Amino acid sequence: MIIKSQIGILTTYLRAWLRGGFVCLCILPLFLTSLPARASDQIAAANNVITSMIRDVETYLETDSGNVEKRTENIAKLLDTHFDLPGIARFSAGPYWRAASEQERIDYIRTMRDVVIGTIVRNFDQLSGLRFTTIDSQAKGDKMVLVRGSFNDSTGKRPAVSVGWRVITPATAPAKVLDVEIENISMLVTQKQENITIIRQNEGRFSALIEAMKKRQPAP
Amino acid sequence: MFALPKSSLRSLLAVPFAAILLLAACSSVPEDERTDARDPYEGSNRKAFAFNMGLDTYILEPAADGYRTVMPKAGRRAIDNHIDWTGLPATTFNSALQGRFENAGLSAVHFVVNSLTLGLIDLTEDPKAVKSQDFGQTLASFDVPEGNYLMVPVLGPNTGRSLAGRVVDSVTNPMSFLKAGDAIQTMQTMRPPVALVSMRANLFEAFNDVKYNSLDPYARTRSLYYQGRAGRINAMVGKPTDNRTADDQFESFLEDPK
Repeated sequence: MIIKSQIGILTTYLRAWLRGGFVCLCILPLFLTSLPARASDQIAAANNVITSMIRDVETYLETDSGNVEKRTENIAKLLDTHFDLPGIARFSAGPYWRAASEQERIDYIRTMRDVVIGTIVRNFDQLSGLRFTTIDSQAKGDKMVLVRGSFNDSTGKRPAVSVGWRVITPATAPAKVLDVEIENISMLVTQKQENITIIRQNEGRFSALIEAMKKRQPAP
Repeated sequence: MFALPKSSLRSLLAVPFAAILLLAACSSVPEDERTDARDPYEGSNRKAFAFNMGLDTYILEPAADGYRTVMPKAGRRAIDNHIDWTGLPATTFNSALQGRFENAGLSAVHFVVNSLTLGLIDLTEDPKAVKSQDFGQTLASFDVPEGNYLMVPVLGPNTGRSLAGRVVDSVTNPMSFLKAGDAIQTMQTMRPPVALVSMRANLFEAFNDVKYNSLDPYARTRSLYYQGRAGRINAMVGKPTDNRTADDQFESFLEDPK
């Protein structure tokens, strides 16, 4: 009787263990396959952003008449659609972002957006004739993908330039561009180091950076 | 054939001597007042940078602009080829020191083959197969610390390690020992200023963007230099640099969502 009940308990444990094991065995491949699936989703999302952005630029270039207002409108739309402006602002301010007041943060994002738009609008003609070719895309952790490629001048006058787009790929939000690397030099890291220097030269005043940026902006 | 000309000797001695004098004149900025931890001599570095910018405005930029306008594309390519060719012995020497014998052999072959045209025309199948190496990279491969950031008059941005590397490269380059008649001597003398003008012409727009559109051209130059140098050392010597790479910086940024 005792032996029977002990066998019964053992059988129950065994069944439970097997069931648990079976469930684990079923889940494990799912878990393992979800990792590369997530990486490939990330990469696909990043590639889509870049393809879509390049297509938009090409459309703007084809329809460009040199009208500054229209250019500004197009570039603003391009930036707001494909770029993570709050992320760019937070990264480029470095450790001083935490110390900045809410109003300073808003001012900084707005000024930075205006500066970037102004710079692209002024140099928009230089993009004409360039063709982007993707070389490869590499997941950098589970939140970022580096899409590498090169810009080639269809007229052959300018040498090919190697470009990398750092795209953030959050699981619950659309993928957006955070940084551009030209010949392996990050534009955002460069901007961050320049910004930090300006803030430190002004005794840690974040507003000094905003003032300096406004001064550099050409008059409308 | 390989006697060291007196003028070369003087110029070789002048570079480290000037660098030592420059360093002696530098006053270090206290650590908590630095705009970049790697740049303790920012005050004197900024003075050297201002000097270099003046030199650029009055001499280099107009010369590079003229060079771009006057010199045909084929001529510019020939000059760039020649400048690359003169750097090949240093690449052979440094690759061998680093144990990169394939690169050492390849650069030696490229040097010999292209010597038929004095390097003006590249006769090799794949000119980009040789990875340029300098003594600064060799020092990095031996784990020599990078040292501080130094803006050197005329030479531009350096670290202590890369400046030491430049001195050694100029001393060990067999091209400096050549004594083969007036034509070669003239080429030897003309090469550094021509290389400077050619480099400025090749980077004309990018350089002007830093010079005229930056909030702080000095800080931007420093950042560009460190990133470019770190990339070269990482890619060619295969050693992580002393500086945080862009990957590291983005990784910590994404880990901290605030």
